[in-house]
Amino acid sequence: MSSGVMYYLTTVLVYAGVDIMACIALNLQFGVAGLVNFGFILFQAAGAYAAAVLSMPPEGANGGFQQYVLGLQLPFPLPWLGGAAAGGLLAVPIGLVVLRRLRTDYQAIALLVISVIANTLITNARPFLNGAAGLSLVPPPLGDRINANSAGYQWLYVGLTALGCGVVLAAANRIVDSPFGRTLRAMREREPAAAALGKNLVMLKMVIFIAGGVIAGLSGAVLVGFIGVWAPATWLYPETIVIFAALIVGGRGNNLGALLGALLVPVGFEEVTRFLPQVGPPGLIPAMQWVAIGLLIIGFLWFRPRGTLPERRRVFADPFPGGAVRAQGPVGRGSEETVSADRARPLLAAERVERRFEGLRAVDGVSIEAVPGRITGLIGPNGAGKSTLLAVLAGTLPASAGRILLDGADVTRLPAYRRAQRGLVRTFQLSSEFAQLTVLENLLVAVPRHRGDSLAGALRGKAYWWADERPAVLRARALLARFGMSAQESEYGGTLSGGQKKLLEIMRALMLGPRVLLLDEPMAGVHPSLVEKIAACLESLRDEGLAILMVEHELSMVDRLCDPVIVMAQGQVIGRGSMPALRRQREIVDAYLAG
Amino acid sequence: MSIYAAAFGFGLVSASVIAIAAVGFTMQFGITNMINLAYGVVMITCAFAVYGLNQAGVNIWIGLAAGALSGAALSLLVNRLLYAPFQRRGTSHIGMVIVALAAALMLSNALLAIVGPENVSYTMSSGGTVGAGGLVLTSAQVAIIVIAVAAMAAIHALLTFTRIGKAMRATAADPTLARTCGISTGRIIDLVWVITGALCGLAGTVAAMDSGSFAVSNGSEYLIVMLAAVVLGGAGQPYGAMLGAVLIGETTELSAAVLSPEYKQAVAFAILVLVMMLRPQGLLSKTGALEAPG
Repeated sequence: MSSGVMYYLTTVLVYAGVDIMACIALNLQFGVAGLVNFGFILFQAAGAYAAAVLSMPPEGANGGFQQYVLGLQLPFPLPWLGGAAAGGLLAVPIGLVVLRRLRTDYQAIALLVISVIANTLITNARPFLNGAAGLSLVPPPLGDRINANSAGYQWLYVGLTALGCGVVLAAANRIVDSPFGRTLRAMREREPAAAALGKNLVMLKMVIFIAGGVIAGLSGAVLVGFIGVWAPATWLYPETIVIFAALIVGGRGNNLGALLGALLVPVGFEEVTRFLPQVGPPGLIPAMQWVAIGLLIIGFLWFRPRGTLPERRRVFADPFPGGAVRAQGPVGRGSEETVSADRARPLLAAERVERRFEGLRAVDGVSIEAVPGRITGLIGPNGAGKSTLLAVLAGTLPASAGRILLDGADVTRLPAYRRAQRGLVRTFQLSSEFAQLTVLENLLVAVPRHRGDSLAGALRGKAYWWADERPAVLRARALLARFGMSAQESEYGGTLSGGQKKLLEIMRALMLGPRVLLLDEPMAGVHPSLVEKIAACLESLRDEGLAILMVEHELSMVDRLCDPVIVMAQGQVIGRGSMPALRRQREIVDAYLAG
Repeated sequence: MSIYAAAFGFGLVSASVIAIAAVGFTMQFGITNMINLAYGVVMITCAFAVYGLNQAGVNIWIGLAAGALSGAALSLLVNRLLYAPFQRRGTSHIGMVIVALAAALMLSNALLAIVGPENVSYTMSSGGTVGAGGLVLTSAQVAIIVIAVAAMAAIHALLTFTRIGKAMRATAADPTLARTCGISTGRIIDLVWVITGALCGLAGTVAAMDSGSFAVSNGSEYLIVMLAAVVLGGAGQPYGAMLGAVLIGETTELSAAVLSPEYKQAVAFAILVLVMMLRPQGLLSKTGALEAPG
């Protein structure tokens, strides 16, 4: 092999490694967790700058022709680790500003703006990182021991890059295949539903934002050690779009897709144009290259939106052939806790709760209770405020006034996920399945306190969390059998019928082992044969000691299941009691029952 | 003292340029639900279209009309050919943002291939200077302010007093309901792209006039400054965008005078971050950027 070809080959391989790491990082954030990080390249840049100033001599060393901070001359591998740390650390303040309250599309815009302005700032502020000229003469890692221009060093660098890639890929695979990855995907599919299952969305976003930042920082450190220079012109925001293009082409949500995308788009495109004949004025081919990347994104989004290697469907192999799955048995949290609960004392109590939307009082001073072992019905005409009340009780909407007590403790100020963790679980009026999770996965997402449902647990691997996974799968399968949905176990949630989605949601809530269940029209749009199944299930849950509050329009079901029943109209409670008693009250019949 | 007065005057000019751009952008978002990241590129494309006419001897003030016209045509085209088909397919918000970013990338590089990376300037006379109470502006700058005020007044009148404006607001609130009320939402949306596109082209041309020389790369700078004003005011809120434009325009110019021009962007950035932390819905919006509940 001639040395020219060798240098070319090693260069391409190192670039490929860097791009693979970057694509994997963005895949975790965007592909898996649905976080649209339009500022991605900023984190790679942070890692590159950090690795550079950690490995470079103090700024006066080269005659002071460049100005920069630090200059610690740390030995390898500290600059690489420092680069990774810098990417992660930068993610903390940015994440705290952007990820807490902003809507998803706004997050994307804010991150784009931050990335562009950060570039302008670094360009203009020379003493910090040498401004527009950027840093050069960054010492190659181990360059003091091995001649960096030798062929052996080139291959060593390729090896180190491959090692970095391997570590990143292994960690990313563990994350994606774990219960934690499943939770991230659930968040991507439908944020309010994930929060209603006890998932702390802000925490999840921060964790994956930082984890992606660490990998991006490492990729920058690897790159700067190889090329020896780093300047603002190398991390303009279109570089982020290239990584997005790679994911969209390769297949977001799938680490192999990210890897393929990295090889096809940043590496492939760059190399192909290198061999094109020079036509037109200089600058024409790079410009056309960018146009082609834009076309690639739009073309794939139109014709193959899920990419070349789509996220694969996760089918659980049956660990117990022969169908030894229990189809009966309690489905709430083991009955021992709930049965012993004091049946007279309300488990959930709302005191004069209000919810105002600008001028409108959707819920206006409502006091209600849910008692263990009873199904409390909530009826009333459309617009009475029933669903809003449920949302306020569950914490999906904050209360404007009043108190909410769960088992005697004030939960009024707690966010939805904290209430869910305490056993207050809701379902939604509109179907809210996690569309790109299988039915079984939809149920497994809800499992509380799963050892694999954290970054640390995920990274420790399947051996660590499998002990929690297997019983969860068994419980989920028992529920599916009970509701007659075993056949759909491996279908995507999004492909179910409306009625099946309702069932799925109820089962999902039960997986959490709730103490109080808030159901928003569980029987609306459900086939009559399934309605009977739901009713029977609710009865047995009631007998197990669950406190249930149910909004329902199907009065025959309310008659059969609910006692007491609360009637709402225009945000207020206008009557309560048993159905037969309510039917005797003239004004209630006028307001609702006759209508 | 006079340096601050002068900076205040420049701030008014910047605010005018940003306001024209930001109102167009925020109306696109408010009514069609489209975060059109290609907006800055369309601005600079129109500036170059006017440059072509200007080189051919056309007066810059006539060129302004041509800028507005080309912006309207280009925006309508981008929506009809690209955004609308994706939206009809039910592409998510985020998908649409990515499509728009890809469109911006393609458009700016296609433009780059045609006109090259060099800086150019219009052939125009800035006219005499006008001074009042320490403010010193060229007559071209005064004209920019007048154009902006006129455009804002026209948008206000359109949204408040005309049936078309009401139809636009109805479409923004609920397109399905608007359709069932007999509003032809398709035509309204076309009209929105034409009007906002005209604002976009106008903004690009006055921005190019104001900055003296310009190049393709200015497109993303226009976009960022305008996004800052839009976010500040509350996305989808035309009056918020006007307020945001005044704040961004004045703070950047005044901080350049007080501190140093290098910190211009840093100050705008700091304001933006503060607003995102303290009032993420924007100054004049009740929901805006906040997550939808439920």
